[in-house]
Amino acid sequence: MKLLSELLLMPLIAFGVGLLLVLMMRKVRARVERRIGPPLLQPLYDILKLYGKKTQISHGVMHDISVMMLLGGVICVTLFLPVPGMSGLSDRGDIITLMYLMMVPSLGMALGVGQCANPNGSIGISRALTAMAGYEVPFVIAVAGVAIAYGTTDLAQIAAAQQGGVMQWGLFQQPLLAIAGLIAIHAMLGKEPFEIYVAPAEIATGPMVEMSGKYMGTLFTMMSFQLYSVGLIYTLLFLGGGESWLLLLPKLFAVVFVSVAVTNIFPRHRTEKVIGFMWKWPTGIALLGLGLVMLR
Amino acid sequence: MNSLDLLLLLTTLTTLLALLMGRWRPVGWLLTLLYALQLALLADLGLTLQGGGQVVSQLQLTLLGYPIGLVLDGFGWLFAAITLLIALFSSWFGSGAWSAERSDRRAQHLTLSLNVTAMLLLLASGDLLTLFITWELVSWSGFALMAYAGGRAADAALRYLIYAIAGAMALLAALLLVEQQGGSFQFAAVATAVTTLDSAGLWLLLLLFFTGFGVKMALLPFHLWQAEAYALTPGPGAAFLGAISSRMGLFALMLVVVKLIGLEHLAALAIPYTFLDAQSLLAWIAAFTIIIPTFIALTQSDARRLLAWHGIGQTGYMVLGIVIGTELGVAGGLLHVFNYATYQAALFLSVSAVIYRTGTADLDRLGGLITRMPLAYVTMLMGIIGLAGLPPMNGFVSKWMVYKALLDNGQPLLFVAAIIGTLGTILSVYKLIHNTFLGQLRAEHQAVREVPWSMSVPMLALAAIGFITGWMPGLALSAIDVAQQALGIATLPHHLGGFSLSNGNLDMLWVVGALLASIGIGALIFFAGNRRHLTHQLDNYAGGHFLSSSHRYHYSHNFYAGLMHLIGPWYRGTFRWLEQALINSVEVGGNAALGLFRNSAMLLYMVAALTLALWLLL
Repeated sequence: MKLLSELLLMPLIAFGVGLLLVLMMRKVRARVERRIGPPLLQPLYDILKLYGKKTQISHGVMHDISVMMLLGGVICVTLFLPVPGMSGLSDRGDIITLMYLMMVPSLGMALGVGQCANPNGSIGISRALTAMAGYEVPFVIAVAGVAIAYGTTDLAQIAAAQQGGVMQWGLFQQPLLAIAGLIAIHAMLGKEPFEIYVAPAEIATGPMVEMSGKYMGTLFTMMSFQLYSVGLIYTLLFLGGGESWLLLLPKLFAVVFVSVAVTNIFPRHRTEKVIGFMWKWPTGIALLGLGLVMLR
Repeated sequence: MNSLDLLLLLTTLTTLLALLMGRWRPVGWLLTLLYALQLALLADLGLTLQGGGQVVSQLQLTLLGYPIGLVLDGFGWLFAAITLLIALFSSWFGSGAWSAERSDRRAQHLTLSLNVTAMLLLLASGDLLTLFITWELVSWSGFALMAYAGGRAADAALRYLIYAIAGAMALLAALLLVEQQGGSFQFAAVATAVTTLDSAGLWLLLLLFFTGFGVKMALLPFHLWQAEAYALTPGPGAAFLGAISSRMGLFALMLVVVKLIGLEHLAALAIPYTFLDAQSLLAWIAAFTIIIPTFIALTQSDARRLLAWHGIGQTGYMVLGIVIGTELGVAGGLLHVFNYATYQAALFLSVSAVIYRTGTADLDRLGGLITRMPLAYVTMLMGIIGLAGLPPMNGFVSKWMVYKALLDNGQPLLFVAAIIGTLGTILSVYKLIHNTFLGQLRAEHQAVREVPWSMSVPMLALAAIGFITGWMPGLALSAIDVAQQALGIATLPHHLGGFSLSNGNLDMLWVVGALLASIGIGALIFFAGNRRHLTHQLDNYAGGHFLSSSHRYHYSHNFYAGLMHLIGPWYRGTFRWLEQALINSVEVGGNAALGLFRNSAMLLYMVAALTLALWLLL
């Protein structure tokens, strides 16, 4: 019964926090551009508006199913992320499981966009998957380093091993891995300079090109979940998680803030530049960090 | 006459039936039934093999003064069960409409049943001599299956044959070495040989066994023959070959390396001036066997070749898991044999279904078939999720076990190498399904229909097996236990959903359950939104213009252009160059010998021989 209530509560919290993270992202961008930015509930209004719109173009059954897979996938990921007071399913699937679960929504989106038969969409997916091949390599090395350092792949155990002072955090224990991981999650969130697959001026927003109404609304929802999940994974791996929400949320917002703050000063890389960069710098840093962990 | 004899008799009868009545149209159904019967017999046999038991055939012969015989233990039983399962569904697929109009029906049925018989005999070989004889049987029957279609398939099969003969020679040399050291061809002689050989001799023995068995598995550097040969085999044959045939190499390698020699002897064999030993060398060969063929698959534009190259890459995961040698690793490697067989066969069958209806597997000439062949699409979707190793399919479970074993064993670099292979797989399988089933439907494919039930049921059944054993891996793991007991490796405690380890668990019952429930929630939210409007598949526009089927706008050719821009120059074809260099040097050597003996110095040899004879006489 406790588990069931946790499973209901965890996605709801994730959604709420995710909306706030989206709001932060938009506020930061607005301030950089000397605008005021949207009000508190604007992200929620946007999603509700999109779900209620009259124009809802579907390109086939797979297009619909892909939207369900996408939303289901991101909801499912949140169930495996331990948060203060709730462990959810985190003892039934470890960080490796989580890494693969996080690919399910991407696959769902890719299949749906494929059925839309818009070449811009397909190019976007091709680029998104290429980017994934880029950022997953340093991310995986960072995860492997953390798993070796603490001798476990259980996220709750990894977070628990970092308790006892700020200096016990992964950020200070494995600084190289933490830096590589931060660059990798920046690319994972698809922010400039790595937003090759959206590229509005070039391929007309890529995967989103045929998404209207609730399809677009689901992508918005996915973004808020994604900001939460990716930020939380980083917090658990390198910032010691949190014993209470008061300790956890500032860390989570700080991680996402780093990403959304630097994104505004960059232009967009070319596809091969993104992957070349990812395989060179963060991967190199992560390998060095992994070497240090293995020597210890 | 015990149950093993009965099984072998039945499989021989199946081959005879295919030989005598292969032209009769319904014979395929009869053969399929016989495979099912054999599978049932084997399942019954499995109960007696639990706990490390074995069944000895009453057929015992003597060859050249050496006793030879057939024995099945739990390890061979696992591979035999997978072989028969795949044979059952491949034969089913090829029984109805597929073979109805084909004139080479007999060859199709006969070669498949011949392969099954040879494989079962190999898996039941009780000594090294039997192993060698049945190994040759497997090689030649594999050649027959690859070659019967003729044309380019026969060329590829011939290339395989050259590799196989080279491997067989290496194997023969290894056997002679064992006989010389151990005194017999019994399996126990290997253990004696290992103790009496010095380290150079043991290296030689390992290298010979590795060459002999590695060729069949297409491990690096023997990987060049496989993709072409498997891809050009017609439909169900390709599914069978791709799913299980090269696992015979894995079986034999594991039998020799893990059971007879022992991984601890490999770990003791250090390579001078490096950090490596024989065990980690094999692990790294496996890791490169994952990465290189997978990234070759990424560049393929033919669906069958793409799958066949992935088949080579997936072998690496099995070897990697097994070489690590922990309970989790070995169980993961063995489970991957089963899981891989289910989804690879399903994928080959769905591609064959597409070929049956459209006549092509060229990824640049397909697209949009999802509305025309939804069942083939579902099969391929489940298959690629398995191949890429994502939940909820079974491929995820075995790969998770291999990853976890690598991390627990302190091998993060091998772990990263394995994941890089998975990333390449995800890219390449999306290209496969996108170019075949998604995107624009070509004008000439607008009248395409779903394949008949005789073809869609077996492929869906394989996909369903993949899903069920992904949801409840405990079902398949119980069979793995039998094999592990026979190998003398401790079994891994597991429950229906997965494992409870102290440092990271996996419970697929919950993972898959949570995923399905979440997708259900996603569906509810989706339907809560405003009513959707379904447009026709061909009602499309881009850049403000309506698009008709006269415009080809399917983005398929060179799908990962950006990535290829970077890594394209890395494909140097080094191994192909090496192969060609070897061919050329053999040719040069042959010509030189020809010239020496035949053309130039005939008189000189005669004078030399006469002088020698005279000198000997005097």
